[in-house]
Amino acid sequence: MKTRNFSFNSRCQNAIFSAIFLLTAFCLAGCRTAHDVAEQPVSVPTRTVTDELGRTVTIPVNLKRAVSLAPNLTENIFAVGAGDRLVGVTTFCNYPDAAKSIAKIGDTMNPNMESIVALRPDIVFVSTASQIEAFMKTLAANGIAVYVTNPDSLEGVLRNLRQLGDLFGTGERAEELTAELQARIDKLKQPDSNRVRVFVQISREPLFTIGKQAFLTAALENAGAESVTAGVESAYPKLSKETASALNPEALILSESPDNMEPNAAFRNSPAIRNGRVYKVNADILSRPGPRLVDALEQIARDLHPAQR
Amino acid sequence: MRKKKFQNSRNRALGLFGGLAVLLLIVLVAAAMLGAESLPLFDLNEQQHSILFDIRLPRIFLGACVGASLAVAGAGLQSLLRNPLAEPYLLGVSNGAALGTMLAFVFFEQFELSRPTLAFAGAGLATIAVYRMAKSGAGMNVERLVLSGVIVTTFLSSVIVMLTTLLDAAKLRSFTFWLLGDLSQATRMGVYLSFAAAIAGTAVMMSQARALNLMMVGERDAFDFGVEVGRVRILVFGAASLVVGAAVAASGSVGYVGLIVPHLVRLSVGSDNRLVVPFSAIAGAIFVVFADTIARTAIAPRELPVGAVTALIGAPMFIYLLRRN
Repeated sequence: MKTRNFSFNSRCQNAIFSAIFLLTAFCLAGCRTAHDVAEQPVSVPTRTVTDELGRTVTIPVNLKRAVSLAPNLTENIFAVGAGDRLVGVTTFCNYPDAAKSIAKIGDTMNPNMESIVALRPDIVFVSTASQIEAFMKTLAANGIAVYVTNPDSLEGVLRNLRQLGDLFGTGERAEELTAELQARIDKLKQPDSNRVRVFVQISREPLFTIGKQAFLTAALENAGAESVTAGVESAYPKLSKETASALNPEALILSESPDNMEPNAAFRNSPAIRNGRVYKVNADILSRPGPRLVDALEQIARDLHPAQR
Repeated sequence: MRKKKFQNSRNRALGLFGGLAVLLLIVLVAAAMLGAESLPLFDLNEQQHSILFDIRLPRIFLGACVGASLAVAGAGLQSLLRNPLAEPYLLGVSNGAALGTMLAFVFFEQFELSRPTLAFAGAGLATIAVYRMAKSGAGMNVERLVLSGVIVTTFLSSVIVMLTTLLDAAKLRSFTFWLLGDLSQATRMGVYLSFAAAIAGTAVMMSQARALNLMMVGERDAFDFGVEVGRVRILVFGAASLVVGAAVAASGSVGYVGLIVPHLVRLSVGSDNRLVVPFSAIAGAIFVVFADTIARTAIAPRELPVGAVTALIGAPMFIYLLRRN
C-alpha cells in the first residue's frame, strides 16, 4: 500500500514537474513584461528547528505563509494568534469561523499536492495522526518545509501550542494561553476515588470506542472519569458487544454525530442507562487534540460531578 | 443389483447428511459457549442471560443463515451456468447487493426494510447484467462469464468507492467495516429475514435440482428432456438474488462461502443437485459460524470482520482444491 502510494506520488511529482516546466516556459515567453519584477527571491533569514519526529527543518525566521493539514493544528495555530498567516487548510478545518474562508487543499487523508505547491508555503504542518508519511516525503522532496507534530495527549496539546508560539513568534500569546488552559485543567482535578467509570461510544453500529492508545483515555482522568476500555489495545477498537455489556459503565459519553445519538443496545441494562447518565459531547471538541479539548473535559466533569460545580 | 447399489448410495448420502447435521449442532453449541465474555453453563444472572440471548445467539443464527444462503446460491449458480467459478462474490451479485444496501443506507435510513429490498434489487440487476454480457450469439463460455463477472464486480466496486468518498466521515467508517463482512450488527429482524430467505431460497433451489442436473449436461440437452430452460433460469437467478440480497443486507460481503462450500460438497457426495443443495446449506452454515467464532474471539475484546476470516480460510483452501483436481 505504502509503496504503491509512493510510486503514485512520484508519478504525480513527475506530472507536477512537467506542468511547472511548461508553465515557466509560458511565463518566460509571454508574461515577462506584464509581471516585470514579480517576486524576485530575496534571501530571507532562516533558522533550523527540530520537529516532533526529530527531523531538522529549515524555515524562514518570519513565517508568512503556513499550511495546516489537520483540523486540530489549524485550531492551535489560530489559538496562538497566527491564524492570519494560514494560507491553506483542509476541508475538515471548520473552526474557528475564519478557518472556513481559507483556501482548501483537500481533506486530512487526501491532501492535494498541486494546491499546496501553488500556495508557495513557508511551512506545512502535518499531524502524525493523519498517517500520510508518503505524502509528507513527497512534500519534502518538493523543497517544502514540513513540520510534523504529534499532540497525542493533553500535555502534548500544551506543548504544541508553545512550539507554534515559538515558530510564529507569538510566544507571549502562547504562554498566556497555556497558563490559562493549565489553570482550567487544574480546577477540574478530582480525587481518584471520585472517578466515574465511563464508556466513550465513538460509533453505535458497529460499536467503536477509545482504547489504550487514544489520547482521550488519559485526558479523561483530568475530568474525574476513568475509561472502562482503557486496557483495550489500539486507539479506536471495534469492541465486542458482549464485553461492552459486561463492563457495566456508570456513565456513557456519546461523541455527537448523526449515527451516534443513541447508546448501543448492548448497554440496555447498564447502570449508566438505568440511572439516565448518558451524555453527548460535540464530536469535534472531543476528537481533536486542541485547546477546545479542555472545553470537552469541563463539560464532562460538569456532567459527571454536578455537585461540585 | 442395480437397485441395491442405488440404495447403498442413498444410505450413504443419508448417513453423511445426518453426520453433517450433527456437526452443525456441535458447532452451534460450541459457538454459543465461546465468546469475548465467558459465561457459566448454568444459573446465568440477568446480565449473562442478556449477553447470551440478545447478543451472542442472534449473531450465531444470523451467521448460520448467511452461510447457508451464500452456499446455496453458489451451488445453484454453478450448476445453472455450468461453471465451477460461478459464485455470488466473484460474479458481482454480492457487490450489486452491497450497492443496493448502501443506497438504502444513504437515502432511506429510517426504513429498516429498505436495506434488504434494495439489496435484493441490486443483486438481481447485477445477475442479469452479468448473464446478458456473458451470453453471446454462440452461447455462453466459461471465459466470457468470468470476465463479465469481473467487469461488473470492479465497476460496482468503483461506484461503492465513489459513494463512500462522498459520504460524510462518520457514516463512512461504519460502512467500510460493513463492506468487509460483519455479523456484529445482528438484529432479531435481520435474523428472521435471513432465515426466511435462506429457507425459501433453498426450497426453490431444491425444487429445481432435477432440472439443474439436466442443465449441467447442457441447456440444449435439458431442453430436449423437457426442461423449461427459461423458467429454471429465472427461478435460480431469482432465488440466488433473494438469498444473497438478504445475506448482504444483514452482514455485508462475506466472500468465498459460495465458492468453496459447494466444491467440498461435490467432492464428497458427487454432483447430484438434489444432494448438493441441502448439503451446501448445512456446510455453509457450519463454515460461517466457525469463521465468525474466530472473528469474535481471536483478538477479544476487539473483533475481526468475518469476511476477512472466510477469505483467509477460503483462498488457500480453494488453491488446494484447484491443484488436487
